[in-house]
Order: sequence, then C-alpha cells, then structure tokens
Amino acid sequence: MKASTPCYSLCKDGTRLAWSCLLAICVLAAQANAADLRVPAIVDADRAFSISLDGAGEATFYLIGPDHVVKRTVTLGGALQIQSSDVRAVGRYQVIVCGSSCSSATFDVRATQPAHISFFLHPSRVPVSTPGSIDATAFVFDQNFNLVLIPSTVAFQVHPTNGTSFTRQGSTRLGVTWIRMDSTTKEGRVQVTAALRNVQEARVIQQVASEACGLHIKALPNGDSVTLETDPVRDCSGNALPDGTVVSFTKVDHAGKSTVDTPIKKGIARVRLSVHGSAQISVACGVVLGNEVTVNGKL
Amino acid sequence: MKRLLTTASFMLAGSILTLAQSLPQVHLDADGLKPRSIEELTGASIASNYALAWRDLEAALESSQAGGIGDEFVGTAKDRLVQRITEQKRTGVHVRIADRGHQVKAVFYSSDGTAMQLTDQAQLEIQILDGNKLLDTENVTHHYIVLMTPGADRWYVRDLEEVPTNVF
Repeated sequence: MKASTPCYSLCKDGTRLAWSCLLAICVLAAQANAADLRVPAIVDADRAFSISLDGAGEATFYLIGPDHVVKRTVTLGGALQIQSSDVRAVGRYQVIVCGSSCSSATFDVRATQPAHISFFLHPSRVPVSTPGSIDATAFVFDQNFNLVLIPSTVAFQVHPTNGTSFTRQGSTRLGVTWIRMDSTTKEGRVQVTAALRNVQEARVIQQVASEACGLHIKALPNGDSVTLETDPVRDCSGNALPDGTVVSFTKVDHAGKSTVDTPIKKGIARVRLSVHGSAQISVACGVVLGNEVTVNGKL
Repeated sequence: MKRLLTTASFMLAGSILTLAQSLPQVHLDADGLKPRSIEELTGASIASNYALAWRDLEAALESSQAGGIGDEFVGTAKDRLVQRITEQKRTGVHVRIADRGHQVKAVFYSSDGTAMQLTDQAQLEIQILDGNKLLDTENVTHHYIVLMTPGADRWYVRDLEEVPTNVF
C-alpha cells in the first residue's frame, strides 16, 4: 500500500498554537478518511473476493484493470466485495481509494483451469514418411480466454486412418507448447487431437504419397509410333501417387529431343509418341528418374 | 535470398520514423527463437508494429477514445482495450503513460508463421487521473506476455497480458 497524501493544505498557514490544534484535527480527519487498503497479492480470475478498507467515513473507490474500470462511493471501515465479473481478465489491477487523500494498492489476477485449447496443425497436406514434417502447436486458455501460464501437459493424440494410433506429449511454457512429428508411412487422413484434462481440440491433415519409387515404363511399338505406359506409380511405401501427378516422357531420336508431360490417370501414365528410327525414351516424375527404353520405329 | 537470422536483434527508435514523433522505443531480441527462426524483415515489422500498438494504446488510454485501436490490435487484446476505454469514458478515469521503452524478447514463432509470442519488460511511468485530479503515479517495470499474428500488411497484437515479475 502506498502512503497517504498528508493533510497538509489545511494546516500549513497556522500559527504555532493553531498549528498544533490543526495538526490534531488533521490527524483525526486522516484517521476518519484515509483508507488502509489490504488486498491479496494474487487472485484467480472470475472469482469474487474482498478488500479490507480500514478507516471511517465515505470514500471513492476505483478499480482499474485490463478491461474494466470501476468507480463508486464506498463506506470505509469494512470489507468491500469485488465481484467475479470485475476480475475476468488476467493482469495487473490497481485499487485506489480516495477520501481526504488517496491510497492505492495493486494485485495480479491469474488464469484459472484450462478450458480452451487453440490448436494449430501444420501443414494441411504432407508426404508420407517424412521426418519432422508435422508441427502441432497448442495455446492453453482458461474459460475467459486468459493464457494459462502454469505449466501443463498437452497430449497430442495421433490417429492415422491407416496405421496405429499413438500419443506424444508437450509441456506448456508461457501457455504454449509445440511438437514436431514424422509423417507415418501410409497415405490418408490423419486426425490429431490436442487434449488437456477434459478439453480436446481436433484437427485433420492429409498424408499423401511421397515421391515415386521404382518408376518403370514399358514400350508397345505400333508402326511409326510407340505407346509408352508406366507400371502403377507408387512411392517407396507402396502408396499410389494421386491421379493428376505429372509424369514426363523424354524422347531422343535423330529429329532431336522432345518431352511430353502427361498426368497419371487411374494410377498409371500413358502416352503415344511418333518415332523416327532409333530412339531412346526416358521417364521422370518429380525428382525421380525411371528406366530408359530403346525403340526402333519405321522411317 | 532471404537472410535468416539465428541471432537477431532489431531496434526501432522513435526518431527514425518520421510519422511517429512519440513512437516508443522497442528493442526486439530474437535469439534462439523456435521452432522457426525469424527473418530480418519480419523482425523489423514486428518491432515497428509493436511500437505503433503501444503508441495507439497510450493515446487511447489518455484520451479515452478507441478510434485508433483497430489499426494495431485484434481479437482479445482489442476487445479488452475497447471495453476498458468505454469504461474509462463512463467513469471519467483516464491514464497518462510516459513510455521509457520496451525490452522485447521473441520466445515462440510457429512453424507456419502465423503466431509469435513475445515477452516485454516495459519501463512505464503511469499516472491515473479522474478528470484533472491525479489519483496515483507509479514508475516501475511492467512485464507483459504478447501474442502477435500477421495480417495482410502488418503484425497485429492479438493478446497482451500483464504478468507478475517472476513469470519470466
């Protein structure tokens, strides 16, 4: 509590005798009007409590918080009830009581039990079997959306559609925790739930096939053209690359070099090329090279 | 090529911005930031927007006018500040802040770049007034936890909570 302002202005012009008398009056007046504030150092958000106001007479009470300002007349000499609605937001609150002088005190409001999790899962699509490719972040708030600063453990429950569920845990620091996970080996929907006591928040990401693996084409000559067709295009975990993924066929013959891009349809990519004489044809998908075939077309 | 800074320090002084004569001084330390490191432009933007936020906050608390708050605050921080200013206006209480500067440390930057958490040790002299009557003056270090999120052209203050000294 801060010291009260002295009742000086009333007394400063008095003579020695009058000074003594006025001083006594000032002391009595101060006792009657200055509030002796006793406030708790920390209170929980959204909880009512009381402040002890010693002294006598009426005074103006102020409560100033992050989202709230209260001003009202109070009678000194008792307990002043602070409503739960007055302290919903965490932070520092200032109490000021002004009678003939002003007294002030501060207290902190802290968050209560976790009631909300703000949960981010990144990215929304991720290739399978990729180390450290999924980030899960959780902010923990109480029922009034105050950040809960007391460390707590958030369980990140991972439920792949194709695969075994597992749980990872993260401990909050300053209300936030994050973990980094590997994607699993099978494509499909993965639900991740951040859970803390009875609070849960779920997000879903899609695991997609990774780069092609063992890319292979076969050639079916037909007169002066050749039809090239891949085997079903899969990644190294056996997941089919999605339709629409582009496969590039590159032909080198005596007419020069040409490339045709074609999307995968129903798991395979197919293209028909005209060839003049002997030609080498290679295939690629993304950064992956496949086999090369040699064909001999008619001139 | 973007320059990644593992040890970064960004300084924004009021005197270097012509538009902000009263812009508070913000010193941002992003050393060891995880899980994502900060880029130079992002650091400068954070420091600049945080300084602007405090300038607007201080102006709003003194004038009890919430007009400029929406430029720098969103979400919980904006809601609480607007509510506070509304109640200041109703009661006649207002606050004058002499801002001596902010030592800001970035403590968390999400991997997708959508949230940054900071701590702030602010040197503030705060006067509380009822009309013209001075109720209280204090000159101490205040500690804040801040959550900022990016918008189209700036970083917004989404959460601003004052905390006890021993929290960080």
